[in-house]
Amino acid sequence: MTNSTSEKTKVLILGIGNVLMGDEGIGVHVANALEKAVLPDGAQVLDGGTGSFLLLGPMQNAEKVILIDATIDGETAGSIRRLTPRYSSDYPATLTAHDIGLKDLLDAFYLTGGDIPEVSLYAISIPPLQDMSTELSPALRNAIPGAAQLVRDEAWDAFVS
Amino acid sequence: MTRVVVDPVTRIEGHLRIEATIEGGKITDAYSSGTMVRGFEKILKDRDPREAWAFVERACGVCTTVHALASVRSVEDALKITVPQNAELVRNLMFCTQYMQDHVVHFYHLHALDWVDVVSALSADPKATSDLAKTLSNWPKTSPGYFSDLQKRLKAFVDSGQLGIFANGYWGHPAYKLPKEVNLIGVAHYLEALEWQKEIVKVHTIFGGKNPHPNYLVGGVPCSFNINDVNAVNTEKLNFVSKLLKDAADFIEQVYIPDLMAIAGFYKDWAAIGGGLKNYMAYGDLPTKGYGDVDSFKFQRGAILDRDLTKVYDVNGRDENEIKEYISHSWYKYEGGDAVGLHPWKGETEFNFTGPKPPYEQLNVEGKYSWLKTPRWKEHPMEVGPLARALVAYAKGNKEVKEVVDEALKKLDVPITALFSTLGRTAARGLETRLIARWARGFFDELITNIRGGDVSTYAKGSWEPANWPSQCEGVGLTEAPRGALAHWIRIKDRKIDNYQLVVPSTWNASPRDPQGNRSAYEESLIGTPVAKNDEPLEIIRTIHSFDPCLACAVHLYDPDGKHVHQIQVN
Repeated sequence: MTNSTSEKTKVLILGIGNVLMGDEGIGVHVANALEKAVLPDGAQVLDGGTGSFLLLGPMQNAEKVILIDATIDGETAGSIRRLTPRYSSDYPATLTAHDIGLKDLLDAFYLTGGDIPEVSLYAISIPPLQDMSTELSPALRNAIPGAAQLVRDEAWDAFVS
Repeated sequence: MTRVVVDPVTRIEGHLRIEATIEGGKITDAYSSGTMVRGFEKILKDRDPREAWAFVERACGVCTTVHALASVRSVEDALKITVPQNAELVRNLMFCTQYMQDHVVHFYHLHALDWVDVVSALSADPKATSDLAKTLSNWPKTSPGYFSDLQKRLKAFVDSGQLGIFANGYWGHPAYKLPKEVNLIGVAHYLEALEWQKEIVKVHTIFGGKNPHPNYLVGGVPCSFNINDVNAVNTEKLNFVSKLLKDAADFIEQVYIPDLMAIAGFYKDWAAIGGGLKNYMAYGDLPTKGYGDVDSFKFQRGAILDRDLTKVYDVNGRDENEIKEYISHSWYKYEGGDAVGLHPWKGETEFNFTGPKPPYEQLNVEGKYSWLKTPRWKEHPMEVGPLARALVAYAKGNKEVKEVVDEALKKLDVPITALFSTLGRTAARGLETRLIARWARGFFDELITNIRGGDVSTYAKGSWEPANWPSQCEGVGLTEAPRGALAHWIRIKDRKIDNYQLVVPSTWNASPRDPQGNRSAYEESLIGTPVAKNDEPLEIIRTIHSFDPCLACAVHLYDPDGKHVHQIQVN
């Protein structure tokens, strides 16, 4: 996608997180799993990492965005919630530890006007304290297939319904 | 005496806590604390040095590429690898792209709202705004209709109660001095800059394969040039880069710089506030004849002491007597005790948290109070960043830097000493962005000339093979992150990473006191700053933001709700 006039991505699957912070990187791990899955043509998987402002372009260029991110919400580690946030205040408070929050980015998004993609968010619960590690805890590792399945189904639903 | 606590300090999400003592409306003392730990060493130890860049690049979502650059340079330094000229040019283009994007984002999205009052912009007259905007530059988007539409969108956003990114402002604070129309121009360009920045970063995708977190390579760059191959960097892609660089230069010259100068004109009092330390250091970067030839750098390397611009000292990252890190006020312990300083090759990362359990009211500033170590150059506290780069270059007689700096000083009608301030720091960032945009064009043209001449080499062959490596070696990779001097030190043993230490710009600037009790840059810069309203310490935010704090790689904070927290204690 190097051309500014390229067509819109129909579905952007965006995994967010820091893979150096253990379970905090779950979103990226799920995105990596989806890279290997069978997805409809026109669905794009992006490892958003801690990309912050850099993600505005790909998100604006999508008709639909499926976000996957970690949340510290006190639920059992590995629980998955699907949310359809609109404003930043619709996001779980501790959704992100990334430098410039995705939440803030989305607000900026609405302010800039233009076409706003449909956003759904798979928020995966993680324990509050994360050590520096590239490994996931067992509970989160086990959550990957289920989360990937949910995202994959939603991506397919966007094409075949 | 009042103690004001600002935590976190960064506009959008933060990792930094400032405690300041205010007496008679002025700050008399200040403490800066990184409030959560991050240690990379655990992750990097025993890994293949050639893949370190991919991990350190994830340290931050803002300056990803400079960490990767410092990392590959540290390994190349250890293994005595020289990269081909095209690789140097591509790295320079990645560097310039990052600076243009990051400095514009810093100015508009992380700093402008310290000077621009969003709420005041709602009542600006669109016609008057249009007239004013036309006098500032030739930028096309200046019609009354444009400003009036924008104002409506902004009103709707504010009326929805979803203030979002604007929720943390001190709107209406007496320290806001801009006319309504300038405020409206500022907000308009806040939004335009947001749209603009997503274009320029496509340069990273083209040369680095993907974005965020583009690819780097020890020994060169991971892209190949073939003008007719769709899978390589071909003519179409190079033309696109050329267009992106042109658009970026236009935005910087016609929007960023005019806005910076217009805003600065109303805040000239800030040219006498926030100066802080009198020592400045830059590692320099943008080699034109290879990384090994420091004299060929566009940004010079060196140190200035006591604001004496007649003398620039050499800086050597390999000299174990120059750069050392102290922990007397940091939550770490060293084998040799708390008083010693360690050169990063001998650096240790052993946590020793002795602080209170958060949330706490006040830090124990007599003891350890930060997760940042305290780096010193020949025992001196140093400021790093755009101002340090400008001053080192200026003092070294860099003609291009002198030209843009002198022009700006003349326009604002202020002396060169005005640079030693909050305003000087913010101005230096903009002025170097102008130069970067020009330099990027030069690097691009040189790259095209090489490719046309048949030189498509991007990688030093043979360097990759661990069989050729010494059993033990060490290297340092020096660069300049947008927010200041950045270096990675690596020690390789038996082809694996034995020790890896990062000393990042915010560690220089935001660190706690050293064993002698000397303040670091943030702490010193706040001394003497006037504070009009203790419960809305906008002035503290202005000065700290002028450094472009980004502690993601220095420390890490999980703040439950990402709000500025102020606790006011009157003793």
